[in-house]
Amino acid sequence: MPPLMGIEFLCRVSDVLSDYLGGLNEDVIKDNFVIVYELLDEMIDNGFPLTTEPNILREMIAPPNIVSKVLSVVTGNSSNVSDTLPGATGSCIPWRAADPKYANNEVYVDLVEEMDAVINRDGALVKCEVYGEVRVNSHLSGLPDLTLSFANPSILDDVRFHPCVRFRPWESHQILSFVPPDGEFKLMSYRVKKLKSTPIYVKPQLSSDAGKCRVNVLVGIRNDHGKTIDSITLQFQLPPCILSADLTSNTGTVNILGNKTCSWSIGRIPKDKTPSLSGTLVLESELERLHVFPTFRVGFKIMGVALSGLQIDKLDLKTAPSRLYKGFRALTRAGEFEVRS
Amino acid sequence: MFPQFGATADTLSKASTMVFRIGTDAHLYDDPDDVSIAPLLDSKFDSEKCEALKRLLALIAQGIDVSNYFPQVVKNVASQSLEVKKLVYLYLLHYAEKRPNEALLSINYFQKDLGDPNPLVRAWALRTMAGIRLHVIAPLVLVAVGKCARDPSVYVRKCAANALPKLHDLRQEEHALAIEEIVGKLLNDHSPAVVGAAAAAFASVCPYNLSLIRRNYRKLCEILPDVEEWGQIALIGILLRYVIASHGLVKESIMFSLQCTESSHSVKDGSDADFGQVKESTDMGGTCDYEFVNMVSRCYIEGPDEYLSRSSYANRESFQLTDEQFTSGKSNDDVKILLYSTSPLLWSNNSAVVLAAAGVHWVMAPKEDVKRIIKPLLFLLRSSNASKYVVLCNIQVFAKAMPSLFAPYYEDFFICSSESYQVKALKLEILSSIATDSSISSIFKEFQDYIRDPDRRFAADTIAAIGLCAQRLPKMAHICVDGLLALTREEFVTKDFGFGDQEAGILTHAILSIKSIIKQDPPSHEKVIIQLVRSLDSIKVPAARAMIIWMVGEYSTLGEIIPRMLNTVLKYLAWCFTSEALETKLQILNTVCKVLVGATEDVWTFKKIFSYLVELAECDLNYDVRDRVRFLKKLQSSNLVSIGQEEGTNDLPEKDLLHVVAECILGRQTRKVKAESFSYRFYLPGSLSQIVLHAAPGYEPLPKPCSLLLDDRNVPEGTSEIKKTVADYSGTDDYGTSSEGSDDESASDYDSQHSVAESSGSGRGDDSEFTSEGNDNADPLIQISDFGNASENQNGVSQSGPANLGELMSDRALESWLDEQSGSSNPGISEQSQVRISSARISLGDVGKRVKPKCYSLLDPATSGNGLKVDYSFSSEISSMSHLLVCIEVFFKNCSSETISEITLVDEDSNRALDAADKAADVNQSSLASSDNVPTLVPMESIASLEPDQTARRILHVRFHHHLLPLKLALYCDGKKLPVKLRPDIGYFVKPLPMDVEVFIDRESRLPGMFEYTRSCAFTDHIEELNKENGDSLFVKDKFLAICESLALKILSNANLCLVSIDMPVAANLDDASGLRLRFSSEILSSSIPCLITITVEGKCSDPLNLSIKVNCEETVFGLNLLNRIANFLVEPTLG
Repeated sequence: MPPLMGIEFLCRVSDVLSDYLGGLNEDVIKDNFVIVYELLDEMIDNGFPLTTEPNILREMIAPPNIVSKVLSVVTGNSSNVSDTLPGATGSCIPWRAADPKYANNEVYVDLVEEMDAVINRDGALVKCEVYGEVRVNSHLSGLPDLTLSFANPSILDDVRFHPCVRFRPWESHQILSFVPPDGEFKLMSYRVKKLKSTPIYVKPQLSSDAGKCRVNVLVGIRNDHGKTIDSITLQFQLPPCILSADLTSNTGTVNILGNKTCSWSIGRIPKDKTPSLSGTLVLESELERLHVFPTFRVGFKIMGVALSGLQIDKLDLKTAPSRLYKGFRALTRAGEFEVRS
Repeated sequence: MFPQFGATADTLSKASTMVFRIGTDAHLYDDPDDVSIAPLLDSKFDSEKCEALKRLLALIAQGIDVSNYFPQVVKNVASQSLEVKKLVYLYLLHYAEKRPNEALLSINYFQKDLGDPNPLVRAWALRTMAGIRLHVIAPLVLVAVGKCARDPSVYVRKCAANALPKLHDLRQEEHALAIEEIVGKLLNDHSPAVVGAAAAAFASVCPYNLSLIRRNYRKLCEILPDVEEWGQIALIGILLRYVIASHGLVKESIMFSLQCTESSHSVKDGSDADFGQVKESTDMGGTCDYEFVNMVSRCYIEGPDEYLSRSSYANRESFQLTDEQFTSGKSNDDVKILLYSTSPLLWSNNSAVVLAAAGVHWVMAPKEDVKRIIKPLLFLLRSSNASKYVVLCNIQVFAKAMPSLFAPYYEDFFICSSESYQVKALKLEILSSIATDSSISSIFKEFQDYIRDPDRRFAADTIAAIGLCAQRLPKMAHICVDGLLALTREEFVTKDFGFGDQEAGILTHAILSIKSIIKQDPPSHEKVIIQLVRSLDSIKVPAARAMIIWMVGEYSTLGEIIPRMLNTVLKYLAWCFTSEALETKLQILNTVCKVLVGATEDVWTFKKIFSYLVELAECDLNYDVRDRVRFLKKLQSSNLVSIGQEEGTNDLPEKDLLHVVAECILGRQTRKVKAESFSYRFYLPGSLSQIVLHAAPGYEPLPKPCSLLLDDRNVPEGTSEIKKTVADYSGTDDYGTSSEGSDDESASDYDSQHSVAESSGSGRGDDSEFTSEGNDNADPLIQISDFGNASENQNGVSQSGPANLGELMSDRALESWLDEQSGSSNPGISEQSQVRISSARISLGDVGKRVKPKCYSLLDPATSGNGLKVDYSFSSEISSMSHLLVCIEVFFKNCSSETISEITLVDEDSNRALDAADKAADVNQSSLASSDNVPTLVPMESIASLEPDQTARRILHVRFHHHLLPLKLALYCDGKKLPVKLRPDIGYFVKPLPMDVEVFIDRESRLPGMFEYTRSCAFTDHIEELNKENGDSLFVKDKFLAICESLALKILSNANLCLVSIDMPVAANLDDASGLRLRFSSEILSSSIPCLITITVEGKCSDPLNLSIKVNCEETVFGLNLLNRIANFLVEPTLG
C-alpha cells in the first residue's frame, strides 16, 4: 500500500471521529468505544478503505448527538446502527445522502484562507502565499446541481477538488460544477502564490553584548483593508543557550512557558500606540553573544476579507427550487507566518 | 448536615459528569463486568443482548480475553437486530481464529443471511464470513463471494470484491483460478465503486494477470475519474503496469530520453557535478554522471534480483532496452487515454491519488508534459507533516533526475521553523539540487538565515548544502568559500564554550564543504588553503583539524606559497602532536609522510620531523597510532633507501608507487568523514519502498516493457533462453511493435549458431562429396536441418501472434510457420543438391500446406444434434490466455433447415470456470502443479444464431491437466442441453520447442535410461505417395524426400511438434531408406519440460517401413503416453 494512502486514510479516520465525537482524545474514545468500533469496521475492511464518505457513514451509524442521547435515555433503546443500507452507496454520487428534504433551501459559501509568509532577517518578504479553502454548507432538497464561478480564477495557482466537482467544466471554463454533499464540506482548496504584501508587519530586533541580549519587537498594521485584524499573537522559541528572560509589552500579555516558548497575545492593535515587546535575555555564562536567533510565528485573523483577492462571481442552481438563500463569507488567518530575526 | 452536604456535592459532581456522558457507552467501558454477562447474552431482549455485547467489546478493548463467551455469542448471530448482528460480527472476527470449531457453528446463519432481502445484512454476512479465515470454510466463502459478485446491490458487490483478498490470503491454490475469475468479472462491473474495490483486489490477488485488464482497458480508463479515491490509487497503478507491459515505455517520456541520449544529458543538466563525490568514491569508475536518471528509470523496471546481479558484475549493459520496447505517446491511443484520464486526478483532494497520478505522468508522459505534475505535487506539501515527508521523498528523486522541472519553484522548498528535522533536511537536499545561477543568490540568502537556526543539526546540514550548491554551480564557488571561511572564523568565538557536538558538527561540515569545493579546482583556491592552515591554531575540533591537515598533505605541492609554508606547518604539527586527538594524530602522520614523499627540497628537515614523530608515535598509548607509524616507517624507509641510492635522479616509477600507496592511505582517511547519503536504488514513485529505501514486502517493479504477451503464453519470469525465443514477440494488434531486448541476444545467438551450423554443414557437404564419390559407408549422414529454424520460427510465431488474437485462421498460421521453415531449409538442401542431384529438393512447404489436423466429431447431426453438426480439431496454436490451455478449433455447422440459436459449449460441472479469459497463467508454477486435476474449459463465446448450412468456427481453450479420459461437456443450443465428449489428444499437450540439432543431441544425451522409451511400428503412408509420384519423371532420390514428407506430414498433423532435422543416409542402395532419421522437439505445455522425439526408419523405400520411435522426456508417464500416441497415429492410415 502506498504510504500516502495510509496517511490519508488515518487523517480521514481522525476527521470522521472528531466529527462524530466532537473532538478526539482518549476519554472521548473510551466513552464512545462502541461507536468507534462500529465506525472503524465500516471504514476499513481487510486493510482497504470501505466507506469513508462522512455522509454515508452518518446514515449507517448515527452520531451520538443530544437528541439521540435523550432518546436513548427515555426509551432505553440505544441502537445507533441503521437498519437499511444508505441509498447513496449504490449511486454514482456516493458523497450525497439520498434525497434530503429541507424547508429552507440554503447554501453558504465561505472562503477560508491562510496566509503563509516568510520574512527574512533583513525584513524582506521572501515568500508570501495564500492557501485557501472554499467551504460550502449546503442544505438543499433533492439533487441540486450547482455551479460556482469566480471573478478572477486566473490568480489561482493550483487547485484541488472535492470528488463531487466535475473536472471538465473547470478545465475548459474554470467553472465549478458539482452536486454538493449534504451539510458542510470542503469544495476545493487553492493556492495563490507570490503575493506582494502582508497585512501586518513584525520587526524584531535582537542585539547581544556581554552575555545579555536586548529584545525589541514591534508589531503594526501595514496597510488597511478596512477590516479589523483580530487575535494577533506572536510566538517564539527562546534559544537553548538562554538562561532567563525578562520580557514586557505595552499591550497584551506575555507568557513564557516551561519549554522556553514565549507567547505574546496582542489581540487587536490599539489605535493610539504601536504594540511593542521589549526586555532582556540572559545568556549562558561564558557566552558573549547570541549566535542563534529565534523565529517569530505570527498569528492573526481577519474577518470578511480574502487576502488572496479571490472573489466569487456567482453561484447558480440548475434545478432551481422555489427559494434559495445564498450566503457568502470570507476569512483570512495566518498560516505559517514566520518572521526571522 | 455538613457531611450530608458534602455527600450531595459529591453526587452532584458525579451526576454532572453523568449528564455530560449520558447516552454514551462510558459506563459500559468503565465497569464492563459489574453485571454478569452470560444471562444477558441469553436474554430474549435485543437491548439486553446489545448491552452484553457492548460489555464484551469493552473487555476486548481493555485487552481481556473473553473468548470463553464464544458459544453464547455465536448463537446471537441469528438475531434480527442489526446492532446485535454488528456487535456479534465484531466479536466473531476477533476470536474466530482462536475458536475455529465454534466459529463453524455460525456458518449456517451466514448462509441464511446471505439470502436476506436487506443488502446491508448480505454485505455484513459476507464480510464477516470471509473475515473468519478458516481453511475449512474457504470453499463455502468462495461460493458466497461468487454469488454476491452477481448481487444487484452495488454495496454487496463491493464487499464481494473486498472479500477476495481475504480468500486469497488463505493461500489455497485450488481456488486461485476461481478467485481470479471473479476479479475479472468485478473489474467489468458497471459501477465505479465496485471497479475500485475490484482493482484493489486485483492488485493483491493476481497483479500479474494483466490480460484481465486488456479486455476492458478502455472502459477502466474512462471509469477512473468516477471510481472512489481509494480504488483510484490501486487502479492507476494497475493501468500503468498494463500499458508498460503491453505497449512498452513511451519514446517521448523521460524514461526514454535517459536511455538514449545519455551523453547529451550529462552535458545538458550538469547534474554530474552533483555527484562528484559519488564519482570518486565508487568503483564504477566515472560512469555515474549521466547515470542518475538512467539508473532511476532502470530501477523502476528491474526487480531486486536483477539489480543485485547487475551491481555485482558492475555490468551496465546487462539491461538495455531496445527501440521496440518503446512506443510513441503521440500515436499510441492506450497511452494517450491513460494520461488523459489520470490528468484530472492531479486535482484530487486525496494526496495519495495525486501522487499516484503524478507517478504515471512521470513515467509515461512526454517530457514537455511532465511539468504539469509539478504544481499538484508542490500543493501536496501543504498537508500534514507525515505526508509532507513522503511527498518530498518523491520530489527529491524527480528533482534530481530533472532539476529544470523544479528550478522555478525553489521558493516552495524554503523552510519553515515548525517543520520537522527530516522534512527540513529533505528540502535542503532538493534545494541544493535544483539551484540555478538565477536562483542561487536568493537560496544563499535563505541558507544564511538557516545557519542561525537554533536547530544546530539543521544548520550543519545547511552548510553541507552550501557545499553541494557550490559544486553544482562552480561560478558560486568563491562566494561560498568566502562565506564558509567567515563562518569558520565566527564559530571560533563559540567553540571554546563547548556546545558539544552540534557546534563541532557545524565547523566540521564547513571545512568539509570547503574541502570539496577546493577539490574541484585546487589552484584557484590556494589562498583558501593558506587561510585554513593559518587558522589551525584556533580550530580545535579534531575532525576539522584532521581535514585541514589532510589538505596540507594533499596540496603540498600546489602553487608557490604552500610549499614554502610546509616547513613551519609541519614543525607546528610535530610540536602539538602529543596533545592531539587520535584522528588528528593519524592524519598528521599521514600528511608528514605524504609531504616527505612528494618533497623536492627541505627533504632533510622533513625527514627529521618525520623521525621525531615516529619516535613520539611509537610510544603512543593508542595502538592504532603505533600500528600506523610502524607501517609508515617501513614505507618510508624503503623510500629513503631509494632516494639515498639514486638521489637527484628522481626515479619516477618508484616515486609513483609511493604516491599510489600514500594516496591509498589518504583515500581511506577522507572517506571516513564523508557523509554519503546517496543511494543507488530507486523505487517507483509513491511506493513505500521509495520512502524506506529498501524493497518493502510486496513491492513490485514495473513489468518489463512489452512483456504482457510473453507472460501470457509462457511461464512468467526467469524462463530459459529458448522458451523466451519461442514466446518472445510483442505483436500488439495495432502497432506491430515486436521483439524485445532479449530478442536481440537470442537472435544473435542463433545467428552465430547459424553460421556455425552452416560451416559445419558445408564441411559435411564436402564430406559427403567424398563419400558420394566412392565411399559406400552409410554412416556419415547429410543433415537436412533447417539452420535458421529458430530465428525463422520466431518470425513464424510472431506472425501467429495476431492469429492468437483471433485475426488469422490457425491453419494459415501453421502454414506460414511451416513455409518459413521450408524456406529456411532450402539453402541447406540446395547446397546438398549441388553436391548430389541438382534438381532434388525437399519442399516441406508442400507438407505445410497439407498438414491438416485431424477432425473429430463432437456431435452428430443425425443422432443427437437436432441437425447441428459439431466437429473439432486440435489446433497448433498456443493459447493466448495461458500456456496451460490447449486450443481446440470447433466447427459448428447447421445441417438442419431451421435456424439454431444460442449455441454455447460449457464444462459440464459448470460452477467451475464460468468466465473465459479469467484464467490466464498463474505465476506460480508449483501452484499449477499442485492445483486440482479436473479439466477446465474456458467457455467460448456463444454463437447467437446459426442459419441453415451456415458454419461457425470457435476456438476453445481447454485445460486438460494431462487427463486422457474424454472430457464431458455440455452443449447448449436452443436452450437445450446436449452432453458431448471431448477426447483429449496428448499430441497437443505439447508445443513446438525450436532448437537446432546440436542442442537436440545434447539434450537427448542428457535424458538416457529411464527417460528414454522406444517403440516400433510400421508405416505405409508413403507407398501411396510414391506410387502417385511414379508417374512423374522424378529422380530416385525423391523417394527419400517423399518418405520424409509423408512422415513429417503425418506427425505434424497429429501432434504439435517442431521438426528439428532430417538425417538422410548416404547409401549406395538408393532404395534402402534405412538410416533415415527425423527429429522432433516439443515441450510439455504445463510444465515446460522438453520432450524429444526421434524417428528412425528401416526398410526399403517401396515397402512398408519399420519405424522405431524414441521419446526422451523427464516426465515418464507423459513420455510413454506420447510415445503410444505417436505409434498409434503413425499406424493409422491417412484419411482422405
